[in-house]
Amino acid sequence: MRCLGVESTAHTFGCSVVDSSGKILSDARDIFRPPEGSGIHPRDASRHHIEVSSSVLKEALDSAKTSMSKIDIIGYSAGPGLGPCLRVGAVVSRALAGFYNKPLVPVNHALGHVELGTLLTGASDPLVLLVSGGHSMILAYSNNCWRVFGETLDTTVGQLLDQFGRALGFASPCGARIEALAKKSSGRYLQLPYTVKGNDVSFSGLLTAALRLVSEKNELADVCYSLQETAFAMLAEATERALSFTGKTEMMIVGGVAANRRLAGMLEVACDRHGAKLHVCPIKFAGDNGAQISWTAIQEYQATGKSVKIEKSTIRQSWRLDSVDVKWRP
Amino acid sequence: MQRQLIKKGAEADIFLVQWGDRKAVSKVRTPKAYRHPELDGAIRKQRTVREANFISSAKRAGVASPFVYFVDPVNSEIIMEYVDGQNVRDALTPALCREIGRYSALLHANNVMHGDLTTSNFIHDGKRLVLLDFGLAHYSERTEDAATDLRLIKEVFASAHVKSRGAFEEFTEGYRSIAGKKRTDRILENVREIEQRGRYARIT
Repeated sequence: MRCLGVESTAHTFGCSVVDSSGKILSDARDIFRPPEGSGIHPRDASRHHIEVSSSVLKEALDSAKTSMSKIDIIGYSAGPGLGPCLRVGAVVSRALAGFYNKPLVPVNHALGHVELGTLLTGASDPLVLLVSGGHSMILAYSNNCWRVFGETLDTTVGQLLDQFGRALGFASPCGARIEALAKKSSGRYLQLPYTVKGNDVSFSGLLTAALRLVSEKNELADVCYSLQETAFAMLAEATERALSFTGKTEMMIVGGVAANRRLAGMLEVACDRHGAKLHVCPIKFAGDNGAQISWTAIQEYQATGKSVKIEKSTIRQSWRLDSVDVKWRP
Repeated sequence: MQRQLIKKGAEADIFLVQWGDRKAVSKVRTPKAYRHPELDGAIRKQRTVREANFISSAKRAGVASPFVYFVDPVNSEIIMEYVDGQNVRDALTPALCREIGRYSALLHANNVMHGDLTTSNFIHDGKRLVLLDFGLAHYSERTEDAATDLRLIKEVFASAHVKSRGAFEEFTEGYRSIAGKKRTDRILENVREIEQRGRYARIT
């Protein structure tokens, strides 16, 4: 079985063909780049998605050496995400499903990150740290659901980095530039609030304090360094708490922020102490992509045979991962 | 002194030791190699001192907690009573949920926020329930902070105790028996507020 997956929750418009053995036949995407100093405006991002949708779709089909008639089902990211962006992916998918008469399967974007992560890393029953612009969650699977063992109480670590970076005049996503700047620091640690509440974390106070350090004319590299050290140590501690509580022997990190070497390095140390194996989602598929949607749609469709009628296919800007029924995991 | 490692917790190593003529537990917050040494040192020292203080505050509030024998903030070590019993994470019952609720309300009535209210921090020795791990505890008079404690245990029930249905309701009943209906309802309302602030929560 072959699935075309369409991803459009935020800055990325992506299409990908994946088959039921888990082989990624193609992965085409185009990322909206906002001007320096600004974030993702939903209107501008959705316009970008509309403009690139045909070429991205064509590239996905061409590089998979396939055509729409050979596709069995269509998956689309139905949320959570930015409404205008989600609608572009939904419209494209509905049009294709209607014209070619293919089953249409809505997919939870966050679930896609986790499921593709387990496919690519080979993790079977991991504790998952999902870190991106939309999520900062610690998850583990039990009884048909990825359950939340800890999460941020306010903004996500991706938002923390992006909002901090934007204040410095960078364009979202800012994580890579902050990481590069932090590497230039001499290692001078500036004090910042460290907020762990049980298994949960809070980043809002940290953002305010880090911006104050900038306005006080501290060395920028040192502020970036201290911000990373504090935020990632909070995540590592919350993860370690969940690891100790659940006794899991595998740990997996997925989402855009998984590309950060420092965070992965910290988790490696935390996992070592508990004898857990760390799986890091390959950087290429850590961020948003169509394959996460295809692969999840295939599994959903094979397990349940369910698809959605075009007139009933909707998007949900707010759709929590722990409210999704997962039928294919033991 | 014989030291036998009995648990590698998230934060600390727990050793079984001899203290005078009795069995005791040594809890050592070992350095975290992933944390910047300056940050790490400050956190470990603060939590060690805090834990020792709040273990006593808990007793004053009527909540059973281990007896502290010795505190060493420099090495982040606390030696305390060894509680022989079962971890509640592995043996949760409706009655224990109510008792956890009662304990939480007793602490909150004294403005003590536990900060890490999870089932694995309770030990049941057959007769009484003992609360541990006060490293994240703090004083507060804010309803929001009490609600943060409740939200955490609710999250734990929903993730780690899927099969114990109604655990949070039992907990609430125990809480209400101390805090009263009015106060409990106010805190529960605040719990809902915190949940709605959560990422992608349905606004209801």
